[in-house]
Amino acid sequence: MFGEGAGLELDIGGMDEKVKIVFQSLDGDRRIEVAAPAGTSVMEAAIMNNVGGIEAECGGACVCATCHVYCDLVAPDSLPEQQIDEDDMLDMTSAERRPASRLSCQIKLCRELDGAVFILPEAQV
Amino acid sequence: MTKAAIIIGASHGGVQAAASLRQGGWDGAVRLFSAEDALPYHRPPLSKAFLAGEKTEDQILLRGEAFYRDSDIDFRRGEPVLRLDAAQRTIETGTGNYGYDKLILATGSRARRLPVDGANLAGIVTLRSLHDARLIRPALEKAGSVVIVGGGFIGLEIASTAAKAGKTTTVVEAQDRLLARALPAAMSDFLRDYHRMKGVTFHFGASVAAFEGEAGRARAVTLADGQRIAADLIVVGVGGEANIDLASQAGLEIDAGGVRVDDKGRTSNADIYAIGDVAAAHNPHAGARLRLESVQNAVDQARMAAADICGAATPAAPVPWFWTDQYDLKVQMAGLSRAGTTRLMRGDPDDGAFTLLELDGDRLVAAHSINRAADHMAARKLIAAGTPLAIDEARDATIALAKAVVRADA
Repeated sequence: MFGEGAGLELDIGGMDEKVKIVFQSLDGDRRIEVAAPAGTSVMEAAIMNNVGGIEAECGGACVCATCHVYCDLVAPDSLPEQQIDEDDMLDMTSAERRPASRLSCQIKLCRELDGAVFILPEAQV
Repeated sequence: MTKAAIIIGASHGGVQAAASLRQGGWDGAVRLFSAEDALPYHRPPLSKAFLAGEKTEDQILLRGEAFYRDSDIDFRRGEPVLRLDAAQRTIETGTGNYGYDKLILATGSRARRLPVDGANLAGIVTLRSLHDARLIRPALEKAGSVVIVGGGFIGLEIASTAAKAGKTTTVVEAQDRLLARALPAAMSDFLRDYHRMKGVTFHFGASVAAFEGEAGRARAVTLADGQRIAADLIVVGVGGEANIDLASQAGLEIDAGGVRVDDKGRTSNADIYAIGDVAAAHNPHAGARLRLESVQNAVDQARMAAADICGAATPAAPVPWFWTDQYDLKVQMAGLSRAGTTRLMRGDPDDGAFTLLELDGDRLVAAHSINRAADHMAARKLIAAGTPLAIDEARDATIALAKAVVRADA
């Protein structure tokens, strides 16, 4: 059944190891670099660091589609496989869904994502 | 003189109200009071991922600490509001008095207690706050057997967490089925059977006569019919009561167990709003005044109140929605279940993925989904728009629910 096992094949390391990622505005003008422990989600990293542009109303339950990011600049093999529920929710995003759209609550930080750049859509609600 | 907005209560509703006031251009002070000593956090994970030890406190924050500073929100934790004086437009905490121009009550609800013998024994807990969850997490880890009184959402989530951790898990429910008010029988039965398959034992139509203890610590639950169920940990989840004390004290109108509000969240006092669990609003989907205890309701009412305070147009009444995660089941509800609707099954419960639709004529009233997120999201839109459904297509789970509508040319 879906909902479990996402990204298990990636090396999330220990929780004390920090991974750096970048959130970038759609026009590229604003770039915020944050660091968060491996194993936390990209959404959680954004919330902990008050990045703005990520709402995450449901707190990572994959039921609200308000932590939408575009992953055009992220190496595809460093991302967990998309599960059915995430795919369904992505149809409900406020900003346009694109091929590289993901919900950031479903992406766990791992070594492979160090330095990855996530693009923030125009709106979440 | 600069204006001040005061928000009492810093959970999903209160924090959203603070954020929405700033987003809506409120340029006065925003003071957010929390009786709790923690940074505001998501409540749903408390009975699931947090309880199971899969998430840390940092991972369930509603907003990072920087949010309050960067948004110029005067967040005061561990400072409960003791008095509300609506005539003077002031509040009083243990450490000071604060004036307001607009006030938002987001005081939430508290767990109902069972007035039976032994209710004060150690080892009997309720789960509402992070503080509760911090206590229950190690107790659950040590326990071999857990009895949960109340087969509601929180009770079933805890049952799922406990059963997954290999505990001997028993649920005692007063009604003859689970979630009798919120769900049609087919959903209740499915959830009961799923929990049973995972090893949970149920007692239906059962009420607790007493808790039995030994050296001040609870050891068993005694039912009205005399049955005795031994337990290392007892969780009472028999619903919530709104925290209306401040509102009553200020003379605000109380109705349906909560603070009476209009469709913009205004109480009987023009400068005081109430949102979330504590607010009793007329709900067009229920055709009645009621309190709703859900994240969606708290967040949407917060946005509504903030918009009204900022002088913006308030959004239309949203469709209520709710979710609960149990084992690998994602249970999602759109709309509110009501008696007398036509029930339509979409998909097969034996497959572990289906949606039960509730219809009034050809209009969707409510949809209850198990592992069918797309149905749930489509249902929210269809209910909001009042779109007539094409029944035969809606019944066919291979056709997208969003497409199962009566076309204008048909």
